[in-house]
Amino acid sequence: MAKVPEQIEQELVQALRAGDIEGAEAVTERALEQGVEPLDLIRGAIVPALTDVGEDFQRLEIFLPELMAAGDAAEAATAILEDAMASAGEESASLGTVVIGTVENDVHDIGKNIVGTLMRSHGFKVVDLGRDVAPSAFLDAAQKEKADVVAMSALMTTTRPSAGSTIGLFEEVGVRDEYKMIVGGGSVTDAWAVEIGADGFSEDAAGAVKLCKSLLGVG
Amino acid sequence: MHSNILPEIVKRSENGPFMKEGDFERALSRRTGELVREYGLAFDGDVPVPSDDDMADRLYQAGLDLFLDMGVYNQSTERRILFERHEVEELVALAPGRLELGTGKDTVIMRHREVEGTTPATVLSGPTGTPCSEKYHPLILLSCAQEPLVDMLGAGSVSTYMGHQIIPGTPLEMMGSRRDAVVAREAVRKAGRPGMHISDVAVSLTCQGKLAAVDRENGLRPSDAFLVSQMVELKTDYDQLSRVAYLKAANMHIVDLMTPLIGGLGGGAEGTAVVTIACHILGVVLYSASYHMMSHTHLRWVNNTDRMGLWMQAMVGQALSRNTPIPALNDIYTVSGPGAPELLWECAAGAVAGTVSGMNMQGAGTTGGFETDHTTGLEARFIGEVSHACLGMSRRDANELVLELLTHYEETFNNPNRGQPFPEVYDENTVEPKEAWLEVYHQVRDEVQGMGLDLDGAWKKVRHG
Repeated sequence: MAKVPEQIEQELVQALRAGDIEGAEAVTERALEQGVEPLDLIRGAIVPALTDVGEDFQRLEIFLPELMAAGDAAEAATAILEDAMASAGEESASLGTVVIGTVENDVHDIGKNIVGTLMRSHGFKVVDLGRDVAPSAFLDAAQKEKADVVAMSALMTTTRPSAGSTIGLFEEVGVRDEYKMIVGGGSVTDAWAVEIGADGFSEDAAGAVKLCKSLLGVG
Repeated sequence: MHSNILPEIVKRSENGPFMKEGDFERALSRRTGELVREYGLAFDGDVPVPSDDDMADRLYQAGLDLFLDMGVYNQSTERRILFERHEVEELVALAPGRLELGTGKDTVIMRHREVEGTTPATVLSGPTGTPCSEKYHPLILLSCAQEPLVDMLGAGSVSTYMGHQIIPGTPLEMMGSRRDAVVAREAVRKAGRPGMHISDVAVSLTCQGKLAAVDRENGLRPSDAFLVSQMVELKTDYDQLSRVAYLKAANMHIVDLMTPLIGGLGGGAEGTAVVTIACHILGVVLYSASYHMMSHTHLRWVNNTDRMGLWMQAMVGQALSRNTPIPALNDIYTVSGPGAPELLWECAAGAVAGTVSGMNMQGAGTTGGFETDHTTGLEARFIGEVSHACLGMSRRDANELVLELLTHYEETFNNPNRGQPFPEVYDENTVEPKEAWLEVYHQVRDEVQGMGLDLDGAWKKVRHG
């Protein structure tokens, strides 16, 4: 990986931390004009900056609005870089595709949204199915998007059985081994994850990113 | 606006501005941040119970502005329900400030409370946000209902029905809902308080599941209440609004449940306080709520006994007390559990901050809701005792007291003492606290008395004047 010019790196990191979408886009365009490789910019500036932002959020030194703004700015910059890579016939920089949603009957999605934001910022392609997602909807999306990971969130003890039902459906149709299936959310524990046969569990968003990287052997 | 507001709410839900939910959240976050700056709202961790009337009033105005600017997001239609300022001000002014809850000799009066006032707070308890097993749920409810300082009972939530996981929308949900209502009714009867107000049966997630708990003889009655929830932040849907339609027609009490997240869409304590004021206004305007349950929690620890949570409770309580007639409740959420002294210290801090700031009492939501059956009536007794001992206390004195209380538990948030489940701390036959839990209670109680709170005399004064 080639080193990103210091000024470009600093300006991009600054724009991302400030949630400045226009600024992040402008620096990204300038970097491309100067011949910086898209992958270098992603790995050398965007991922480290968003990792720092994510860690600040985990410590609640910053709050969700700042995290969301940084994620939006990173997404805007990454979109430009993805376009550039596609034009040059290069492969996507994505670490993998994660299909994420809150399980059936559960309408609490803020935790799931935080996980999605952090996943994107770390270079995963995230397909967010929203809340109250039926097991069959997880299956359809996983197949359609050729997902690597299916991530399910459940806040309540009354809704978490649906995560087990979803894993059961994947087994029933014979595709369980094609995906890593992970769970998280207020009502989910490590023991519950083991009980329903999930591949992994995380109690927070940063842990979910690490878990995905570990399961896929990337990053 | 006339009293039957729901047709107008539906009309605005169908015709208000379309907005994707993610865009609504971003706009809400952005506007909240602007309002925090415009109104000069500032959290100070060294002053968890501020005495700043002007800031309390500015906070209320910021919350009102947020409600008017954003409206309420209806997830069913993906449209915003908007209101004019004069409509909101009129409906807030019309909101009830005094409620009769329960029936007969067990009726309690919940009032709008004043800042630093002497009006006693009512105490609502039950397994608030703490899941229960089928086996111990009846005993846990009885342990709360039999506490003399507990005025109202929350029925809580059990996630199984005869060992089967309850799946929302299935017959099991309806059966579980009816079962929990019967258990709650039986608990107040066993406690010798058959007319005690029961506040919600929490297991059901759907409208039909909730309403299945209505049963004049053995379940919930018109003198009882159901929660109508808001989704974070400032969101509703037709399922929730349909509950309002039924409960108003059935002449039952509506409780406005809000669960703002500190560190979430509102940002820090100041922004989340602004959002929480707007949530209370939502409860008045959309839900016609009898009373309001403020269940704000820290995004990571799922409690509100940290400095930000206490500050929010104090500031929102004062803002509502000074600017509205509504009765508000603090919902004390702790990281600790029964058997742990930290639980009682957390409860004390929440009770002090809330009482002097005009709130009624609710609690405790122990262990952040992470541990099953980790809840008992003893901590509710302590909340009542501390609250009654704070009547008439100045906010300045309350602040000093809260700072001292914080030193007993603040360091445990990242490694909390979750305590023990009900059968380890209560005798299953007599439904009395076991010696070890009582010892912890008396030890903390003595120390709190040593800080100047008259826990022995205050509740007697409340009862007998």
